[in-house]
Amino acid sequence: MSSDKKKMTRGELGLQVIIFSLGFFYAIVYYVAVPGTVNLQAVSDQLLAYLTAVLTAAFAIGVINLTRVHVNNIKRKRATWRYSVILIICLFAMAIFSMIASPFALDPRATVIPAGVIAFSTPIWEFLYYKILVNINSTIFSLLAFFIASAAYRAFKARSLESTILLVAGLLVILGQAPVVDLVWPGFGAIRDWILAFPNTAGQRGILIGAALGILVFSVRRLFRYPWGD
Amino acid sequence: MSQAILLVIVLVAIYWVAKIAVKRKLKTRSIPGLERIDEWIKEAAKLNRSVFFTPGTGGITTPDTLAALALLGYVAKHCVEHNARLLVANSDPQVQQLTEDMVKSAYAKAGREKEYSTDMVRYVSTRQFAYAAGVMGILRREKPAVNFFVGDFQAEALQIAETGRGEAIYQFGGTTNTDQLPFFMTTCDQTLIGEELYTAQGYLSSDPEAVSRLIGPDAGKILAILLILAGALLITFGNSILIALMEL
Repeated sequence: MSSDKKKMTRGELGLQVIIFSLGFFYAIVYYVAVPGTVNLQAVSDQLLAYLTAVLTAAFAIGVINLTRVHVNNIKRKRATWRYSVILIICLFAMAIFSMIASPFALDPRATVIPAGVIAFSTPIWEFLYYKILVNINSTIFSLLAFFIASAAYRAFKARSLESTILLVAGLLVILGQAPVVDLVWPGFGAIRDWILAFPNTAGQRGILIGAALGILVFSVRRLFRYPWGD
Repeated sequence: MSQAILLVIVLVAIYWVAKIAVKRKLKTRSIPGLERIDEWIKEAAKLNRSVFFTPGTGGITTPDTLAALALLGYVAKHCVEHNARLLVANSDPQVQQLTEDMVKSAYAKAGREKEYSTDMVRYVSTRQFAYAAGVMGILRREKPAVNFFVGDFQAEALQIAETGRGEAIYQFGGTTNTDQLPFFMTTCDQTLIGEELYTAQGYLSSDPEAVSRLIGPDAGKILAILLILAGALLITFGNSILIALMEL
């Protein structure tokens, strides 16, 4: 970061010119509409489409990295090498069956891949996707409930003034949210609405305004200088 | 058009305040979390445990991810300096390439390319909960001394943070996502809140001018606060001139 004062090499300068031109172009397109034959928005959309195509190729590199890391684990017989075997098998099995039998299959009309192979693969893919992947996903997501409980227990301990305020506010929101409490005193609902609409929204907006300005300054600095990691 | 004018005004204000701050060598308020990064990395090296870093689930076009990468540069450099093993887990394959390059460069700059190994920077999964499960697994198996999870996070943030907490790992979080910030606050030892994430790189700089320049965005904030106050007062008295100006 002290390298901010270093002189750029020719290569870096060239790269910087490209970064600045493209970044400036995107900013201009957002703020300025040029009437007439030049449709800047269309150019910008087209460039974004190219970007998406380039970025998609990076997925392959991700898979290569994953494979290298886990093949190394297996080769060196590290403590968790068995998990690496399972991962490699699942990764490639899912990829192969998805290419043959998923809704995004490479050859759904069976012009190259024999129809028999597709018919054989379809129930396997459906099993892997709907019976395993979707369920595992839901399982990991549902773990969140337990994590929230333990985090809330820690946060709601009244150790300081701030955590006591958090505890009281949290309790009031919970009480306002529970339908049964309405029968005892309907005022909790109004208190909950007030907490969410005023102190909560004000705090969130403060953070968002600060973050938006931070992003603005950060982006402008990146446009003029690209010193990642130095 | 008014957006463009407002942008120019804010940028000019930020530029001038930053210039004055540099001239007068003004200092920003302290961000305790950032000051402890070095200390934690040294401790990880001393304990012979690794330092874990993940930039979250955001893509390469997400500002939080870019800010996280700026911080990764600093963490990688100091891990190399103090001989602490760095582990990076990514959810996005494009971010993976950048992080790999950054960590490699940190070793190369120190003339220790050979110490870099492919399993230091890992691609986990683009699927949110597969990534969460992968990161939780790394935290449990590798037991790093420090967990930096800075960037764009969604529901997986709490899963990662609570796992780290369970393993008694020093946790350093940072995001601008207001839905996830409360979870970061309750589970992390240090948290970068909102804009602090974007000032981290400048703050950690050894260049005093870069630190002074951080005061610039505060001018933008003051301007925004003044505009909000003026707008609220004007509309209370039935004057909508500011709204009309903004809608130009």
